[in-house]
Amino acid sequence: MKAKLSLAVLVIFSIMVVGGSVYAADEITAYMGTSPDNNITIVNYIKKKTGIHIKQTFQSFGEIEAKVRAEAPNFNADMCLGVGSPLTFMAKKNKWSRPYKSSNWLGVGSVFVDPAGYWYNIGNFSFVLVGNKDALAKKGYKLPTSWQELLDPKWKGEIVMASPLSSGTANMIRFSFLALYGDKGGWEFLQKLDKNIHHYTRSGNAPTDLVGRGEFMLGITSDENIKSRLDQGYPLVWGVPQEGIGYDGTFAFIFSTTKGKKYRLCKKVIDALGDQELSDIMAGIGYMTPRPAANKLYGAITPKYIDLDLGMAAEERSKNNDIWKSKFRITYK
Amino acid sequence: MAATATTYYAQLTGWERIKEFFNAKFINILALSLFLLLAVFLLFPIFAVLVKSFQSPEGFTLAHYKNFFTHAYFFQSLYNTLLLGLINTIICVSVGFCFAYMTTRGPMALRKPLKIIAMIPLIAPPYLFALSLIILFGRVGLITQTFGVNWEIYGFDGVVIAQTLAFIPLAFLMLENNIKSLNPNLEESAYDMGATEGTIIRTITLPLLSPGLLKAALLVFVMTIAEFGNAAVLGGRVPFLAPDTYTMIVGEADFSMGSVLSVMLIMPCIVIFIAHNYLLKGKKFTTIEGKPIASEPRKMSPFVKVPFIAITFLFGFTIFICFAVVIMAAFVNILGVRNEFVMRHIMDFRSNMAIWNSIKVSFIAALIGGIIGTLLAYVIVRGKFVGRNLIEMISLSGFALPGTVIGVGYLIAFASPPMKLTGGIMILALNCVFRFLAVGVEAGITKLHQINIEIEEASWDMGATFFTTFRRIVLPIMFPAFIAGFIYTFMTAMVSLSAVVFLVSPGYELAAVTIFDAAAYGKIGLASATTLKMVTVVVLCMIILNLLTKFTNLDIERKGGAA
Repeated sequence: MKAKLSLAVLVIFSIMVVGGSVYAADEITAYMGTSPDNNITIVNYIKKKTGIHIKQTFQSFGEIEAKVRAEAPNFNADMCLGVGSPLTFMAKKNKWSRPYKSSNWLGVGSVFVDPAGYWYNIGNFSFVLVGNKDALAKKGYKLPTSWQELLDPKWKGEIVMASPLSSGTANMIRFSFLALYGDKGGWEFLQKLDKNIHHYTRSGNAPTDLVGRGEFMLGITSDENIKSRLDQGYPLVWGVPQEGIGYDGTFAFIFSTTKGKKYRLCKKVIDALGDQELSDIMAGIGYMTPRPAANKLYGAITPKYIDLDLGMAAEERSKNNDIWKSKFRITYK
Repeated sequence: MAATATTYYAQLTGWERIKEFFNAKFINILALSLFLLLAVFLLFPIFAVLVKSFQSPEGFTLAHYKNFFTHAYFFQSLYNTLLLGLINTIICVSVGFCFAYMTTRGPMALRKPLKIIAMIPLIAPPYLFALSLIILFGRVGLITQTFGVNWEIYGFDGVVIAQTLAFIPLAFLMLENNIKSLNPNLEESAYDMGATEGTIIRTITLPLLSPGLLKAALLVFVMTIAEFGNAAVLGGRVPFLAPDTYTMIVGEADFSMGSVLSVMLIMPCIVIFIAHNYLLKGKKFTTIEGKPIASEPRKMSPFVKVPFIAITFLFGFTIFICFAVVIMAAFVNILGVRNEFVMRHIMDFRSNMAIWNSIKVSFIAALIGGIIGTLLAYVIVRGKFVGRNLIEMISLSGFALPGTVIGVGYLIAFASPPMKLTGGIMILALNCVFRFLAVGVEAGITKLHQINIEIEEASWDMGATFFTTFRRIVLPIMFPAFIAGFIYTFMTAMVSLSAVVFLVSPGYELAAVTIFDAAAYGKIGLASATTLKMVTVVVLCMIILNLLTKFTNLDIERKGGAA
């Protein structure tokens, strides 16, 4: 009798479990690589605007790139929403993405829209230098105003940045320094910097929180969470060193394997991304957006940018990863 | 005789013949299907990893291994991993023994509290301790700031401490089980004849326990080197194989090197697994047959009591503090910066979906695992076919395989049609089923050994079909074993990270992965709150399951007893 009772409970729960996984009507799956908070902001915007629910899980740019490369040509998602230029250009080249010309993006420049419709860029982000106000004050230090100051031995073990192997932000940091100082000088700079780096984090945003909480004094980090962390009361100072900062896009594209209803839904999502409203939201976070909007992080001043060739940077990513490993993955004590 | 059989069969219609065939051969068919399942979901992924490590676009290659052995970095990683495993195994088994001894032979008043504190870490993800250590000893940690300690928690030491605390319960659980089943008569006789407690432990308890110690050591070693949450969060720049495998695969999609690292990770496990099987051969200690008798609480001699109490209290207290600070951190706005009470981390509902997914996955895994485990035990004990030992060994080997390797294996093996499972929920459940199968199978084997086959034979003789016998006799006997497998799989699947972290996909986020991400991200509040919610859910689930088994166990035990 009681065995039957427990069996009944099991059966009911099984039905609940299985029943719970029934699909919502308008739903797509996307790989999204902005910070976990910003992913949610974008998902909520799309839901409000189109009624489409986006299933996503947080991964960093580099991790999504690895995943897509490993899955090709059997992708487990319908589109990418918020990935870096290396993956986006690779996808176009290999025909992993499916072109779509959205009329809602008319009038936006070619930095943000691929003329052939293979990708759309919802906002450029950059990397900046952050410091912990309290920790700096305690030591009597000031936030460096030049990248070269970071090589000072006094910062040993006090700087964090992400690993370019897993993070798109760190990849951007690396190609920016290579562009700024040239190939030889760039690697020399990175090698000297390495001596002061405590460790390389997985995600490009992690240094913002780590420095904000005071675990480390300085961080080279993505600018996308700084505004929200300042608002939450983290004792952060941030700045654009005099040599300037690099940038990368935050791209969206549809996978070549997406067909039928899912493709129609993805097109609607791409359309919605081109609205002024999303540019306003993204600029509120600190992005440089496709449509003019008031930037809440940088204000009216456009920061100094390092001259970059994103296409070449994408081409050289894997070569630079190998060099990176040969230089920084050596023996440790 | 033969003639009668022929005429008997000749009289049967086709359908009856099929039925007859199934009746006679069912156990073999069952065994074959179970073997196929094991082959597909346990052997094939491992094999896929092995193949991948020798593969290049041009065909067979040793280049990846050459790469491994010619780079000091990988060597360092291997060395660190083995050293970590060794140190941890020694500490966990020693401390686990102290706890087990105290809870079975120690003062009555201490038995229950010590047991509870030693079991607590089981309900939380192992890398909870990385979180606690950061909260306590990070650069803005509670202890660092209060006492001005300047101790670098990021590095080898931190990882060792976190992993040790995480896997003491495992060692404790296995050893306690073993000590309980030792007949205390031998120890008592020695005591009566004047041996000191130290001598008794050294010459009687420990030697009798050696199979249990060996097994606990194997398990702790494998878990330590494979569960990489602590190493990934606290390791800093110190390389370990498991987190390196993770970076290789998840960060760079370098499946070749990832596979090589996996093979390196699995080698020591296989060596130890084989050595463990070999060492245990012919070393079955049966003290005195019959049910174990509860040991009379003896007065412990101070030479044993004082150090044992010191050790168990030290570790018990540390475990308690680690849990307490995580619970506390769940309510602190920004730890170390704005230490004010907030509910926003708890009220962050994004993690709820992940917890619900974890419950779903663990439940599916536990259900399938319980059933397969019970059936496997049945065919292993009752079957009469060649290869029974092989099936037993394979089904028990799951726990000796590092989760990281299984995760990578599943990713490689089930990525493309016709066996495409990636991107779904079943791949998350299935890897848990086969990794944690051993407990259900062992429980089932033990149960079946207690029941004489004559009851089943009597049932057949009286004309019951195989299915009736199975349903009416075998199933009720084995229900407790099913529950044991179910509970173990459910609990481990809820908190384990090392395999599923490779397999999660959009929409199927799991709580363990969410916590790991938040911790690695430095979001202490969110990580702690999610951990707290998850622990609460696990405890609730365990209470419900326990109540359920208590209800049902009663009449089952009676049936078993009557038999």
